[in-house]
Amino acid sequence: MKVKAKLKNGIVSVKAMAKHDMVTYNQAEKKTGNRDDANFITHISATVNGETVFDISTSQFLSKNPIFKFKFQGIGAKGDKVLMTWTDRKGNTGKGKGKIK
Amino acid sequence: MERRQFLSLTLGALALAVAPASVRAEDFRKLKPTVWTAHKMEDAIKAMYGTTTTIEEGVKLTAANVAFDSGTVATAANGGAIPLDFSTKIPAKTVAVFQDANPESAVVVYSVGKYDVTDYSIKIKMGNPGTVKVIVEGQDGKLYSATQKLNVAKGGCEG
Repeated sequence: MKVKAKLKNGIVSVKAMAKHDMVTYNQAEKKTGNRDDANFITHISATVNGETVFDISTSQFLSKNPIFKFKFQGIGAKGDKVLMTWTDRKGNTGKGKGKIK
Repeated sequence: MERRQFLSLTLGALALAVAPASVRAEDFRKLKPTVWTAHKMEDAIKAMYGTTTTIEEGVKLTAANVAFDSGTVATAANGGAIPLDFSTKIPAKTVAVFQDANPESAVVVYSVGKYDVTDYSIKIKMGNPGTVKVIVEGQDGKLYSATQKLNVAKGGCEG
């Protein structure tokens, strides 16, 4: 997962991209004939210094390699790391981190 | 020695009391599984919030880089990755995105934490033209929403 974070006027803006095909049930059925082959990210979260700053439950209707932008304030200084984790329907996980610039 | 014990005990208790709030991750797929299988937007919203009554104000929604203006229809060139930007100044508990173009309606649910600036962007897929609805559950318990009609030049669920 790619994570970019920038601090400006006390607000940290984060841009993150998860590499994932985000296969919907219909796409899976078309490709393999089995709807259960669908696989997509179901949950993503981000933490800074152990505190949750982003928490989202997701469905198959996010784009392929989905991009997320979010902002937070009150935590995180330049040089701190934003840690992100995703989990998909099959239980795979992905991680990424970015330094706040 | 006694003092030390007392300190470590209270600190431990404090850490326990604080921990659930800071790692307040909420998996709405597990909490409310019916939201994600509902086919109609109304059913999904009802499954999530128990009502479909929302106040159409206080939420800003931009789809496909076309500013929200009720009555106009935005057109996305590529249904496979439609940019959605939404924000609100209302102190929020959760923010949810629904659409009525795909087989199921729910797209995402944010659990808004104490550090969140409620200003998000995502990219979504839509197979057909339809309507996108962003609902903000305020800390006052009311539901606020913004709606945007979208045309899709090329369907995004065809692969």
